[in-house]
Amino acid sequence: MDLWTYIPQLLASGITIGAIYALVALGFVTISRASQIINFAQGEFVMLGGIITFFLLKVVNLSYPFAALIAIVIVILIGFMMHVSVIYPLRKASVLILLMATLGASIFLSSTSGLIFGTLPKALPPFSSGSPLSIGGISVLPQSVWILLSTFVLLILLYLLSHRTLLGKAMEASSTDPLGADLLGISRNLMVFLAFGVSAGVGAVAGILITPIFFTSYSSGTILGLKGFIAAVLGGWGKNSGAILGGFVLGVAEALSLVFVPSGYKDAVAFVILLLILYFRPKGILGSPFIDSRRW
Amino acid sequence: MVIWELENWNLFGIWNLIIGVLHVNARKNMFSQTKQGSQSDFRKRDLLYLAPLWLLSLIAPDPYLYHKKEFKKKDFYYLGAICLAPLIWSDSHFHHLMVLAGIYAILALGLSLFIGYAGQISLGHAAFFGIGAYTTAILTTRYALPSFLAFLASALSAAVIAYLVGRPILKLKGYFLALATLGFGEIILVIVRESTDLTGGVIGIFGIPWFSVMGFSFDTYLKQYYLIWGVLIGLFIFSKNLVRSKVGRATLAVAASEDAASSVGINVPRMKLQIFVLGAAFAGLAGSLFACIMSTANPEAFSLGFTVLIVMMVILGGAGNLYGPVAGAILLTWLMDFLSKYQEYSLPIYGVILILLLIFFPDGIGTRLNVRLIYLIGYWAKKKKRDEGKL
Repeated sequence: MDLWTYIPQLLASGITIGAIYALVALGFVTISRASQIINFAQGEFVMLGGIITFFLLKVVNLSYPFAALIAIVIVILIGFMMHVSVIYPLRKASVLILLMATLGASIFLSSTSGLIFGTLPKALPPFSSGSPLSIGGISVLPQSVWILLSTFVLLILLYLLSHRTLLGKAMEASSTDPLGADLLGISRNLMVFLAFGVSAGVGAVAGILITPIFFTSYSSGTILGLKGFIAAVLGGWGKNSGAILGGFVLGVAEALSLVFVPSGYKDAVAFVILLLILYFRPKGILGSPFIDSRRW
Repeated sequence: MVIWELENWNLFGIWNLIIGVLHVNARKNMFSQTKQGSQSDFRKRDLLYLAPLWLLSLIAPDPYLYHKKEFKKKDFYYLGAICLAPLIWSDSHFHHLMVLAGIYAILALGLSLFIGYAGQISLGHAAFFGIGAYTTAILTTRYALPSFLAFLASALSAAVIAYLVGRPILKLKGYFLALATLGFGEIILVIVRESTDLTGGVIGIFGIPWFSVMGFSFDTYLKQYYLIWGVLIGLFIFSKNLVRSKVGRATLAVAASEDAASSVGINVPRMKLQIFVLGAAFAGLAGSLFACIMSTANPEAFSLGFTVLIVMMVILGGAGNLYGPVAGAILLTWLMDFLSKYQEYSLPIYGVILILLLIFFPDGIGTRLNVRLIYLIGYWAKKKKRDEGKL
């Protein structure tokens, strides 16, 4: 059996999962640009997006787009609540305390969702039914096309938000020069608050996109969050373009690793990549505005 | 004691002499400015005043060092309480809980040297705990090694792996160090889970014999209690001496500012690596004891939740304090035991308690309570004085 013939197929699935990683990484970057905080509960937003949509679709019997929309709004509210109840009281705390607080929030969110929605893994129906498309000998699920399209649209929306609106400029200003932004009357806390909303929304969209392909259970958020973070570091910490590139590179690398290592080791591949990138090029592929030429 | 060490003689005597000379000179300059014309220089008479002062400083303990006297009376009370507690509450559940607390305390002690004294972040110490547990499990069940040798071998294996991993990783700082150590933990977890032949995969290894030294087997909870807490006290005394030594002071300097520390000739990467390896060796010992007492080793020991628990123990007790992790370990072990009554609600409650503790006691319960207490006493004393019309 020749493994090499599978490579185009693996590449396609890698790009699909890479889009999801890119979205999770964007969530990390959005928050860290506003406040230098790394929110380890980011993966839980993804998980909640998928599971709340499932709940609204199957138990409350809403229509699919409506359920997805309400789920996104609910997750954004959860993001706001997390900022108000966890991050804002700890805004002057040290790195370690913030890290542990977001991990505590992650434990709380995942176990509570297990309690409310049940611990069984859930799968949403795909956005459009239909047989897998065949493009040049590679079979592609329609859902993969949906994922790529939605990711693209979301990226454009985020670009417009951050570069074409006053709010986006204010966020940018507060991240590049907090003191200057304060002097101009931009509230830094408000910007972090809004950043949490945006990143929770992006996470929820990622969750809704991924749940038709991969089963989502209450505990699957943590590993997705970590992979998203690795993608953000890989592409270049603090850059939107870096997060997107890192997500796709990580997804493809993980998928291609199946050729070389047994599938059980797949989760370790991302972390090995993380250690390698941190050691050899901590700035990431595209370089990072937050990290100077020295190692941190 | 402190005075008889040559190093401290130097500290006391010479520094006081220099400060004394500077002090006298400064006073004379002030004096000469007010009284113009009398241009004064250093008088030999001043040395006469200085000499008794210097001699006095040699005999009188330095206040800055005195309060750090190694063991105080309260330590002996703690020791007595530890020895007597299991005899007073001769309840096997209590014994078992305190055994677990002691194991976690060993782990947290090593981590607090790294977090509290060297000022770094590690989310990978659970991995060293697991490595210690698996080393003991494999050596005792497959190769029938005596558990005491396996105990030493686990510390060694954890330390060697920490050395190999620490060299590249410890160049990172802050969040990225946390992430890298976490990633290391995950890699070890995957390796342990997948190499089924050696480690038994997800199920783990069963039937590890009791810990025994020279044919004396620690087979009851009471014996295990004394074993664990004996090891803990030994490691505690070791850490306390370490913190007071040159290495400990260098470590504190690294935590305060790496640039400043390297500018006074401290080899910062080496210092961090030493403390990391030491913490890993502690974790290996704890893991080995855990494997002997639970008689199993499974991948549960590597989980992120366990890491969070251990780091919380260090934070709650107060990171820059060696009593802190022990107190934090006892507190959180009891909290987890209390919460296990609520079964599926225990994890959400645990998450909320974690966040609340972090918000209200960010530098440890003991530290914050002490500060509050001192503040209250000061407030009360001022109020009393004001009422008496003295202020």
